[in-house]
Amino acid sequence: MNVPSSLAIVAFAALIHASFQLSVSVLVILSSHTIGARHSQVKLLRLTTSFVIGAGVMTILLLSFVSLVVLSLLGAKISPLAWAIACGMLVGIAISIWMFYYRREKGTTLWIPRGMAEYLTERTKSTKLSAEAFGLGLSSVFGELLFIIAPLTVAALALVQLPSIWQLTGIAIYAFISLLSLLIVWVLISSGHKLSSIQKWRESNKYFLQFTAGSGLIILSVFVYTSQVLGNVVGGV
Amino acid sequence: MDFTVDIIKHDGKRSTEKFDRSKLHASITATCLSARTPEGQAKTIASSVCNEVEKWLRQHPEVTSRDIRAVSVKHLKRYHPEAAYLHEQHHLII
Repeated sequence: MNVPSSLAIVAFAALIHASFQLSVSVLVILSSHTIGARHSQVKLLRLTTSFVIGAGVMTILLLSFVSLVVLSLLGAKISPLAWAIACGMLVGIAISIWMFYYRREKGTTLWIPRGMAEYLTERTKSTKLSAEAFGLGLSSVFGELLFIIAPLTVAALALVQLPSIWQLTGIAIYAFISLLSLLIVWVLISSGHKLSSIQKWRESNKYFLQFTAGSGLIILSVFVYTSQVLGNVVGGV
Repeated sequence: MDFTVDIIKHDGKRSTEKFDRSKLHASITATCLSARTPEGQAKTIASSVCNEVEKWLRQHPEVTSRDIRAVSVKHLKRYHPEAAYLHEQHHLII
């Protein structure tokens, strides 16, 4: 696979990752508590920035870890069978996202383990220091591992076949694009935008976001299956 | 407050607790501040909502924390719809 195709897969996988909402939800709660506790705008900026950096670091760590696992198990040459298994995972998770991503109730509650959701909510309430906000950013990405594992795996499969310098570029591209939604909300909050407007937008568009995340995974699986499985098998024959 | 009300915690893990006006006041003030309301106005709104909730509680000696939230939201909507929305959403974001 050539470099542009690999990076296109990485970028598209990252875009799907960006449509997942747990980190954005935690950022909204963190901001709400910080403003409600009469902390200064500087403190709000410091906490939210630390949170976003934490989310970015965990994304990079997870992608690097999954890439390392892929490299150890499959080597730098990925077989069509491995791609086919990844496609199956993408379709499975896409269907589960269409069916389960948001709970059928008011608000933007997600189908993540309730224990994890309560832990994140409680931790968010008691977050006062930048280091805690950084840790919260790490946890919020990890908490959504059930869903983000699909785009992470496909990005890792694409990355391990690249030369080293392009692997680093790919990781940077993935981290930046996957953080886009979080960065947009961070800019809105930092510039004094109303939290109620942000949450209202999220609530009224939640099923659209759910549909696009699932559809994105299906489109990615079709692209990957066509280019990596069919392309190799038919080309091999 | 010259009456006592038992609040049944909605998660069922903790036992009942007595209604605490100052707790509700602080919570509504914080929500109003989250909606970028000036502090003085936030406190005034919180006091008005607490008065309304206490009036309702006089007829309901045993309620759940969800009931308190629902009644607070209902009254807060009259004074500050955006804060009411945030107060309602508080447990529904993650």
